[in-house]
Amino acid sequence: MKPWFRLITALAAALVLGSAPGGAAGQTVLDFPTWQAEEPGVSTWWKSLIAAYEKQYPDVRINLQQIPFNQFVKQMTVRFAAGTPPDIVHLPSRDFASFADQGWLEPLDERLKSTDIPAMWPPLQADMMWNGKTQGVLLMGYGGMLFYNEQRLKDAHVAVPKTPDEWLAAMKATTAADKGLFGLSTITAEHPNMVVEMASWVIGSGADWLKGGRYNFTDPAVVRAVDQWRQSVGYAPKGTNSATARQLFVDGKTAFLRDGPWVWGAVEKASAEMKPSLKITGLPFPVEPGGASNSLHIAAKSDARKKDAAWKFIVMAASPEWQHAYALTGSPAPRKNTLTPADFAAKPYLKVINDEAARAQNLFPTVPAVRAGYNDFATQVTKAGMRMISTQDSTPKVLADLQRDLERELPLK
Amino acid sequence: MTAVPRRRRLPVRDRWLAYGLLAPACVAVALLVAWPLWVIVQMSLRPGRALELTKLLSQPLGFANFDRVLAQPSTWAAFGHSLVYTGGTLVPAFALGLGAALLFHRTFPGRRWLRSLLLLPWAVPGVIVSIGFLWMFDASFGVVNSVLRRVGVLSTDVAWFVDADTAMLAVILPTVWKSFPFFAITMLAALQGVPASLYEAARVDGASPLQQFRHVTWPGIRGSAMLAVLLNALWTFREFDIVFASTGGGPAGATETLGILLYREAFGSFRFGTAAALGVLMVATALVVVLLGYRWLREETR
Repeated sequence: MKPWFRLITALAAALVLGSAPGGAAGQTVLDFPTWQAEEPGVSTWWKSLIAAYEKQYPDVRINLQQIPFNQFVKQMTVRFAAGTPPDIVHLPSRDFASFADQGWLEPLDERLKSTDIPAMWPPLQADMMWNGKTQGVLLMGYGGMLFYNEQRLKDAHVAVPKTPDEWLAAMKATTAADKGLFGLSTITAEHPNMVVEMASWVIGSGADWLKGGRYNFTDPAVVRAVDQWRQSVGYAPKGTNSATARQLFVDGKTAFLRDGPWVWGAVEKASAEMKPSLKITGLPFPVEPGGASNSLHIAAKSDARKKDAAWKFIVMAASPEWQHAYALTGSPAPRKNTLTPADFAAKPYLKVINDEAARAQNLFPTVPAVRAGYNDFATQVTKAGMRMISTQDSTPKVLADLQRDLERELPLK
Repeated sequence: MTAVPRRRRLPVRDRWLAYGLLAPACVAVALLVAWPLWVIVQMSLRPGRALELTKLLSQPLGFANFDRVLAQPSTWAAFGHSLVYTGGTLVPAFALGLGAALLFHRTFPGRRWLRSLLLLPWAVPGVIVSIGFLWMFDASFGVVNSVLRRVGVLSTDVAWFVDADTAMLAVILPTVWKSFPFFAITMLAALQGVPASLYEAARVDGASPLQQFRHVTWPGIRGSAMLAVLLNALWTFREFDIVFASTGGGPAGATETLGILLYREAFGSFRFGTAAALGVLMVATALVVVLLGYRWLREETR
């Protein structure tokens, strides 16, 4: 055989072998992208769950992939639009409707009948319904948490705040920008979670920017709440995304951080010097803002074998054993009565997290048009938020413009 | 009068060989350029919000996407931002590049090393450049604010990438840093093509350095310089990564160029048809610039 022929044959063989799907012969590989594969705390749970699943179903392998949160929905959109969706679909719940509206997700009603999920899940599970069909299983419903640096509060002679005004005063007292110390860690750059930050102040105050099926941004109560959020941003470093905001808090550069309970995993990784000062409590609002955080789904386009395998994975994640393990990471599990008094005694912060989740009011819009066009809504609100951070334009003017833009771009009727 | 020589016709076998050799290039161009362009034009003419390509392409034809794009204020704002960004980048990058080319055309110790270093910014990916500048220009912990405060230029920290008044300048700076080596290298190559005898003659005639630049150097490098300006203008006009990685088009749309708006329409609002219409308009604008530039270049180099 001539050398060049041998080379071509070898290359062709390598190409054929290289293009074959990964895993052993006959093994089903489930593609599972998530933004939590490297997130402290919950990533350990995912990896343990996958290991247990693969042990129970040796003919299935799960390919876990990490995608940064601020790119996650966009990458999923591209994958679905291109007709190559993942097999296990993990979504931020606020984006669920825009995917369901495209017919991309598998209805799960029939499969759910054989489980205890309908009986054991909270009312927030109803958010997983679109066009009369349940198309997902809620993985976490939560209440927003206030993380604070006890030492910084002591140094500034302020107590843990109980009202929005006390919180603003505490932020002011703990800010010394010339020393690189700030009162608050929050998002001050273009980021999908800026809406959550603003909504926390609005819903927390008892107001709502969607009322009676209409946009309600010009309501004086909404204006006041947004103005308070704007004041709070004045005590935060500028140009910060959510990851940097968390890191600044863990490093002791900021006194307060409003975030989801899952951040406790990152707080626990703080330095030995810093860790004793970092505490968690409920937000100082009359209403606890929270909502459905993330959920699991199956792609409608997957083949039947993969759908069955993905469903078994969801059922395992929803089982009492794995829900208990999930709740211990600091993320409130949706299954009722997951944690025991012994768990609360061993880890007191779990009690705070679960109490806040129980009284949380949904901060995400429930109007179908906004749910289906959530990205448009979030883009416009973020733009208005950035305008308030980066210009001197008055809050009522910015919100009036926002209302006008939303009515044009995303009409509700 | 001399007769125009007739072009010799290749034998059939050689012609087939020529076509055969050309075929892979033609197929590659058709697959990688013509087909995507055709799909984008198709998408731009399909109004609606379907995300799947097959669904979108089955919708009826219409100009609603173009109507929407041309009517929305954000398109014109983005067009204006793109022009400011392109102009704001080209002028300083060209000036720096020309200065660097003139400097490195001279002989001095370490010139070869420095010439290699000069290329470095051009080779760095845009996202890395953005991250570097974000750190340096960070409002609270950046070195730039710290230095400017120490020397008394600033009394308070400036949020360069977050303040609507400074954000455009903040995204132009890394783009200039990344762009100027291209001008420098292009003009350095052109400078080496200017005969030394012309400078000698100019010096003998008593020309000052400025006069030598105006009457010898500039006519010698003008063609290359204009081509570099044209190419860089097109690259900067459709620039995406530096702006996206540093400000994402913000704050409040202050740095939203056409490329960013297109991305937002497609992946933020899921309006692929509108995004495609924006893309078609961007290609058309670039085409007009290229045609005008080509004509101008031809006249310059005639």
